[in-house]
Amino acid sequence: MRRSGFILAIDSYLVRKGMVSILNRMNGIAILKEFGTAEPLISYLKNQSVDFIIISQSIFDNSADLFINYPGLLEKTILLKEGHSGKETPGDSNIQAYTSIHLMEEKEKIVWKIRGLLDQNAPKKIEVHTAELSPRETTIIRLVSMGLTNRQIADKLFLSAHTVMTHRKNISGKLGIKSVSGLTVYAIVNNIITIEEVTSKPAQ
Amino acid sequence: MITRQLPMYRVVTDHPQLLPLFPRFNLKLGFGEKSVEQVCKDHGVNVDFFLEIANAYLDELYVPGEGLSFFSLGTVVNYILSTHNYYMDIALPGVEEKIHLLMDGSALSEKEIALVTGFFNDYKKDFLAHISQEDQHILPYVLELERQSTLERTDPEFLQKLRSYSIREFEKEHDRLETSLEHLSTLIIKYLPPFDDLQLCHQVLNDLAALVKDLVDHADVEDKVLIPRVAELEEKLLNTPFPG
Repeated sequence: MRRSGFILAIDSYLVRKGMVSILNRMNGIAILKEFGTAEPLISYLKNQSVDFIIISQSIFDNSADLFINYPGLLEKTILLKEGHSGKETPGDSNIQAYTSIHLMEEKEKIVWKIRGLLDQNAPKKIEVHTAELSPRETTIIRLVSMGLTNRQIADKLFLSAHTVMTHRKNISGKLGIKSVSGLTVYAIVNNIITIEEVTSKPAQ
Repeated sequence: MITRQLPMYRVVTDHPQLLPLFPRFNLKLGFGEKSVEQVCKDHGVNVDFFLEIANAYLDELYVPGEGLSFFSLGTVVNYILSTHNYYMDIALPGVEEKIHLLMDGSALSEKEIALVTGFFNDYKKDFLAHISQEDQHILPYVLELERQSTLERTDPEFLQKLRSYSIREFEKEHDRLETSLEHLSTLIIKYLPPFDDLQLCHQVLNDLAALVKDLVDHADVEDKVLIPRVAELEEKLLNTPFPG
């Protein structure tokens, strides 16, 4: 899985290290850089691309120009606000980050918010899930799901029965699924075959 | 966070999702005002181990750390065995019965029903095979390893065996059991025609989700606690020079 790159721009050392410790225990996150003031953050962001920025209110206010010039950054910004959610004092600037975390929030809530962002950022699931399987293997799993025997599959694809067996072994190895019923359900939930094709067509 | 001073009844009222853990520690309800520590002591349960498992269960970020290395491997093995029993005697038969009821009262075609029940039967077979492999081969091996490590000199025969086998091999083929259950949920949620008995259908989905979470946590105990410690012990025994 690709990891999302985070940078932290938080003036309070304790808060910054606290955030690092939360992020380090989550999967799929790489901390690229930490900053305690606005200037190095600004020059870093002019040259580097990142997935997410966690930034304290005061550094955010001090680098407001940057966010005005690069509005795309706001989508990637998680603003750390004082106090509890719903009770925050508005910042000086009139620009707003999309996501915010409050200093008094419980760990679970913080993790939940960050995880939500990561999920959004994850590449959209492709229509047909065949990343693990080769096109040939995908064809074979389709035919297996339709109830064809190895012999029938071999005839249909002009392969030897031995080759079909090898493909089947590779498929089971990749997916960790051995049974025909398991492969069939896998094929349905990954859009390799429709449930109608499985349940209404007689096996031939 | 559950602590040793907390009254045990609070553990249950605050976190009812922990209920399946109690039979695994052979803890029965009727706690009165007794603390976690007191209840564990009364039932001969290692309180630190109970706390580690319960907190790990609640905290998705939990990484078993130094805490768990204070317990004997025997304690961990016993816990794994009773978790297996819970899956085989309670969780799996429970969800199986509900799936059959759901199918019986549904308007699904014969082939759709055969797809679901066939899938579950094959899953159950794989599941039982996986568990009996662990119960009959892996866990006894772990106990023997721990026993050998307390002896003054390791049994040469055992040492011979150790040279050709490592727990890491088990880890390699240790496939995760939860993925197929997730497929079954997806099948019901996305692809099968809707069920009239919504209540029952939701119960099945809830049971499947709870079982998936339980299996993930359980695999964590095996992968992050049991295997590293066993591997460490294997190393230690292999590197102890022969006496004399």
